[in-house]
Amino acid sequence: MVHTLIAGLARLMALLGGIVLCTLVLTVCISVLGREVNDVAHAGYLGPLGPWLLGLGIGPVTGDFELVEAGIAFAIFAFLPLTQLTGTHASVDIFTAGVGPRVNDFLAAFWSLVMAVAIILITWRLFAGMQDKLRYGETTYLIQFPIWWAYAASFAAAITASIISIYCAVLRFTGKRLG
Amino acid sequence: MSDLALGYLSFPVLLALIFLRAPIGLAMLLCGIGGIWMVTDGTTVFMAKLKSEVYSTFSSYSLSIIPMFLLMGQFATHSGMSRALFKAAEAWLGHRKGGMAMAAVGACAGFGAICGSSLATAATMSRVALPELKKYGYSGGFSTATLAAGGTLGILIPPSVILVIYAILTEQNIAKLFAAAVIPGVLAAIGYMITIAIYVRLYPDQAGTHPRLPYGERIRALGAVWPVLLVFALVVGGIYNGWFTPTEGAAVGAMGTGLIALFSRSLNWAVFRDSIYQTATGTGMIFFIVLGAGFYNGFLALTQMPQELSAWVTGQGFSPWAVMVMILLLYLVLGCLMDSLSMILLTIPIFWPVIQTLDFGMTTEEVAIWFGIIVLIVVEVGLITPPVGMNLFIINNMDKETPMSATYRSVLFFVGSDIVRVVILMLFPVITLVLI
Repeated sequence: MVHTLIAGLARLMALLGGIVLCTLVLTVCISVLGREVNDVAHAGYLGPLGPWLLGLGIGPVTGDFELVEAGIAFAIFAFLPLTQLTGTHASVDIFTAGVGPRVNDFLAAFWSLVMAVAIILITWRLFAGMQDKLRYGETTYLIQFPIWWAYAASFAAAITASIISIYCAVLRFTGKRLG
Repeated sequence: MSDLALGYLSFPVLLALIFLRAPIGLAMLLCGIGGIWMVTDGTTVFMAKLKSEVYSTFSSYSLSIIPMFLLMGQFATHSGMSRALFKAAEAWLGHRKGGMAMAAVGACAGFGAICGSSLATAATMSRVALPELKKYGYSGGFSTATLAAGGTLGILIPPSVILVIYAILTEQNIAKLFAAAVIPGVLAAIGYMITIAIYVRLYPDQAGTHPRLPYGERIRALGAVWPVLLVFALVVGGIYNGWFTPTEGAAVGAMGTGLIALFSRSLNWAVFRDSIYQTATGTGMIFFIVLGAGFYNGFLALTQMPQELSAWVTGQGFSPWAVMVMILLLYLVLGCLMDSLSMILLTIPIFWPVIQTLDFGMTTEEVAIWFGIIVLIVVEVGLITPPVGMNLFIINNMDKETPMSATYRSVLFFVGSDIVRVVILMLFPVITLVLI
């Protein structure tokens, strides 16, 4: 029951991050296309079609750079819970392959606990970072959206990552294996 | 203890943590935080660093290329192009001695052009090629070894996730690194094919052939892979010619392979969801390592350890080539233990300052590119070196009937071919540098 809920949460976050990632891909492609058409039109290769297209406002997406930065931060924070739950973090197990399941189970439990502490620390500092941005009212250069929005979205994702890393640590210590 | 001593000491501590099965990113993060704590004598500095650096790493425009390339690779996996590539290569090569295995290598090279990771390339091509190789009487060990080796082409032939990381670490131009990887990548494919030709002459009972196809059929099979060529030309050509930034190129590539998958009718909701999950865990893993490496390297910079080490090496008056060979041997050993990305992130900030001060008779940029390509090949050799190469495990897992030992025996031939290639590229830097 709890596991279904937690796993569902991790997948949901990953999907949200994935949808943001796909949206960014789309935005960047539109921006590139707009910029190229704009260049070609300016160069006069399109004849009378050029000024007409330019009149429509065809060009690169304003602030695509900033959108990518804000969006990708959220996406990556949102990808962490599933990485955590599926235990996909890279590690080296060749030196401990011979020491038996008890030691290995202990090591896995120990590192999942340390990982949980690290992720909670990161989440807390992210919150502090968000407060700074909020206090100074910092905005991005071109589209002028408040940077703390991006922090807040990332913070929400980081909270889920914290919950899931605690869950993983508890699971390891109670001796259950992750599915 | 002096800061410098702390810097040197941190490396064995870090390796000890990693060998005790700490997730690599976490181990680097712990050493980084612990080290900064000791050097600055307090928590203020690393707490401030955690406040800003985590977000700035995750929101980095130049690193956003990584999730996009991973997504591109996922879509490519589901695009049906792996089958088309294998069919095309088979049509041209299948009638030769060992031709089916050569076709598998050729198809891996083609797939590497739209996928930036070697495990994904190896796994995807195995699904298509392993059953076919079996059907034509190729022995299990030879088939799995071929695919494991072929998979390493995925990382060498651009786009390549690891080259992106290397470019960022050494502040080099991604476009030039991609261009430099093309000829060594093609050489790798040719080298593997020669290896196969030799192997089947030594063990003629392990491989069969299929009848020669008429040219009309060959051309038709080749025609089916045009989307791969188009996406490759657009992404790598576009980045190289400066039509767009590397990140934009990755977005265009993800869009391209996504469209191919969509038009081949294999991209339904379940496949899309699965692609997202795979991209998510891959991205999460990579960024956690990048984050840890950021803290660890920040700490090393505080201790001046990389500069001191490179000054020491220069002061000893070693020949540059001896230093280079030593470093490569170290990579070969580490490569057998660790995944290539962690290794690059862990070692390049230490080794690059050393290499940079040595005189190879080239400009710094040329050395950076040449060294990068060779390191990339050497760490990939680790992926297929028995007994621990990761590609070997993945492929061997897909073929339940073949014992690991059979794969080990056959793959040594490919490792040999890799070593020959590394020596050639070292002796003739011009091969790598001619395209930049």
